[in-house]
Amino acid sequence: MTKKIKIFSLLLLVVMVMAACSDNNASGDSDADSGSDSGGDSKAANQLLKIGNDQEPAGLDPHKVPAHSSIRIYEKVYDSLLTFDENMELQPELAKEWEQPDDTTYIFTLREGVTFHNGDKMTAEDVKYSYERILDEETASIAKSYFDKVESIEVMSPTKIKFNLSETYAPFLSYVASTNAAIVSEKVVEENGDLMQVAVGTGPFKFEEWKPDNYVELSKNEDYYKEGQPKLDGIRYITMKDESARLAAIRTGEVHLTTLSSQSIPLAEKNDKLDVKGYQSTEYSYVGFNVDKEPFDNKKVRQAISLAVNRQEVKDIVWKGDAILSGPIPESMGKWAIDVSEEELYQHDIEKAKQLLVEAGYEDGFETTISTASTYPDMIDTAQLLQQQFEKIGIKADIKQLEWGQYIDTWKSGDHEMLVGRNSSGSDPDRSISFFFSTDGSANVWGFSNDKIDSLSEKGRTTTDKEKRREIYNEAQKKLIETSPNLFLVSPKKFFIVRNNVENYTPSANEPENFNETIIKQ
Amino acid sequence: MIAYTIRRLLMLIPVLFGISVFIFLIMKMIPGDVVSTMLGTEATDESRSQLEKQFGLNLPIYQQYYNWISGVLVGDFGVSLRTGKPVLGDILNRFTLTLELTLLSAFLSWIIAIPLGIIAAIKRNTSTDFGVRIISLLGVSVPNFALATLLLLILSVFFSYYPPSTYVSLVEDPVKNLQMMILPSIVLGTAMAGAVMRMTRSTVLEVLRQDFIRTIRAKGASERVVIFNHALKNAMIPILTIIGMQIGVLLGGTVIIEQIFSLPGLGQLVLTAINQRDYPVVQGAVLFIAFVFVMINLIVDLLYSYLDPRITYK
Repeated sequence: MTKKIKIFSLLLLVVMVMAACSDNNASGDSDADSGSDSGGDSKAANQLLKIGNDQEPAGLDPHKVPAHSSIRIYEKVYDSLLTFDENMELQPELAKEWEQPDDTTYIFTLREGVTFHNGDKMTAEDVKYSYERILDEETASIAKSYFDKVESIEVMSPTKIKFNLSETYAPFLSYVASTNAAIVSEKVVEENGDLMQVAVGTGPFKFEEWKPDNYVELSKNEDYYKEGQPKLDGIRYITMKDESARLAAIRTGEVHLTTLSSQSIPLAEKNDKLDVKGYQSTEYSYVGFNVDKEPFDNKKVRQAISLAVNRQEVKDIVWKGDAILSGPIPESMGKWAIDVSEEELYQHDIEKAKQLLVEAGYEDGFETTISTASTYPDMIDTAQLLQQQFEKIGIKADIKQLEWGQYIDTWKSGDHEMLVGRNSSGSDPDRSISFFFSTDGSANVWGFSNDKIDSLSEKGRTTTDKEKRREIYNEAQKKLIETSPNLFLVSPKKFFIVRNNVENYTPSANEPENFNETIIKQ
Repeated sequence: MIAYTIRRLLMLIPVLFGISVFIFLIMKMIPGDVVSTMLGTEATDESRSQLEKQFGLNLPIYQQYYNWISGVLVGDFGVSLRTGKPVLGDILNRFTLTLELTLLSAFLSWIIAIPLGIIAAIKRNTSTDFGVRIISLLGVSVPNFALATLLLLILSVFFSYYPPSTYVSLVEDPVKNLQMMILPSIVLGTAMAGAVMRMTRSTVLEVLRQDFIRTIRAKGASERVVIFNHALKNAMIPILTIIGMQIGVLLGGTVIIEQIFSLPGLGQLVLTAINQRDYPVVQGAVLFIAFVFVMINLIVDLLYSYLDPRITYK
């Protein structure tokens, strides 16, 4: 008996050592660079792009899940009727053209011959179903509020569909271009109950498999409506939550693309097999005030804090210089953004800040709490830096680091004094302004109410002339900076670390991960 | 013995019941809920209440507990709020990986620790003994995550090696599976080995000093027989206790190691579920882990009587 155990143990040990040593080069540089895959599915392996995903996706339903780790996957599987180009201008996608016979009617003509990944034809009925699914309360879609003004949807022919709105609503087309307004198949929803675990769209990549806490694999859609695209055979998103693991994996070529914190980017820059590719994001960091609470109910206090903030330091220390000043609408939104560098409240001026505090009756400063999310190192860094900057005008701030769920709870309940966070401006200025700052905006957690902002939001929503709309939002931005319910800090650049044999890939704000033309050089 | 086992199994009922209540309440008490983490800053009051209704979170808390526990009693652990998949299936799926990782780590630790511990005991206060003691101290004191990160760093920078990152089970592809599992097993095994090594050394030393060993030696038994047939067998009980506890802990999933090596084990399942406030998954998994832990303890207790026939259970 004992002899048998000994022999078995010895054999097991030998097998393990052999396994560990054999095929060592499979993940080594030479092989990995050619995209080789030790997974056994060698047929599709040559052009398989492997991505180190820093979070596990939270579900694949484009109408329901706002998590970035999910969006980056499902946006490859689904298309919307419209999309944006790099200048944030609307472009056709599943709709080849659209017209607006009057202020409240939109007619879309669909591309012909587009099929879902299950082989079914995509028709106007699917478009109608998708929008009705978004609008259905049962779905609890995050995009429902985008389309509240939609009164009825009429299928005019298999390739023509009409949306009737209850009133003029200028942001409508921008929301139609949102990833969350993806066109889904009714049959697939009915077969599966929901779309959290499956994804069948019309996009460049097909959903193949999701191994929870490990990877999601997509394969090339051979019938994609854009001729000759995509060039890759597939994409594999491998969940690697640990940054040192992502760094090791990109160094050895086990993954072709990943993200790293700004602290680790210099390590990647030193490696001659890696490229660091940056783009200006549509996000900005902010300090939010609870204007229902003292002393933040006093505009002068908020303005004093704005003058005490040294935005240049935020840019240099938190983002290592890779960020630009931002107003309520960041610069990557193109023509909608205003130049904030000359704004009075953006000038770092301690004396003036102190004077404003005196005028507000807080000559000795005060104590307060900054709440922020511990999940994001940049938010903690920002909070710590601001804590030091506030001390210069006599404001003593404690930092409360909250776990993500707790942060969202605090954010939502208004149970905060100062909040440091990051917002995404969305794709339409309506979201940047009214979603966060109009009195009834769903993300107005500041208790902020300003008649001017409300009337400008309303005007912006009902004005379809682009130039006039721009003027309205310019005014709204200036008013927001002046009233300071939030201090808009900087809009960071984001980075991808890419193996240098990955070609034809340039990230941009509208589509950070467009791999339609990307190839892996052998 | 059988009566004892049955009694111990019956004691499981109040233990697991207590744990089920405790974990249920803890999950309700932590700030943030599944709806908030799901919808994030995009939540509207409408979508919130709709989801709460769908998940049954609008019911009174005792009703929620009753709904959950009555399912558990008939083997239905509910479905994940995030994925809609049955919780039990997910747990068992992940458990196979965790079990494999545990057994491999334990095996690696034993083949290092027990022989070295014995050698250190026999060659007490020699340089060999000091060497073994330093190794075991390092094993116990170097944190898992540090060793894992260091290992990955060294392998990637100097050998351009990274273990395969897409998991395949032992049945599908044993070679690739072992390639994936060997590094985390070494990391976990090293820590385990440290503790087992120290325990082996001290208990073997203690046994070697006892009278019956002198008697056996006087009878002319070879040193090999003295050590392996007599000393080690008598020293096994404390060693077994520590091994049992370590296996119990490892079977609960090793969150950090699984995270560093991208292994979809039980630890990852629980961590992701806690972050997403996926109540049924957390509750089910914790209950399952508690069950496994208690069972391992029972098995260890029963093994005592096998190792030392003087121990009998009534």
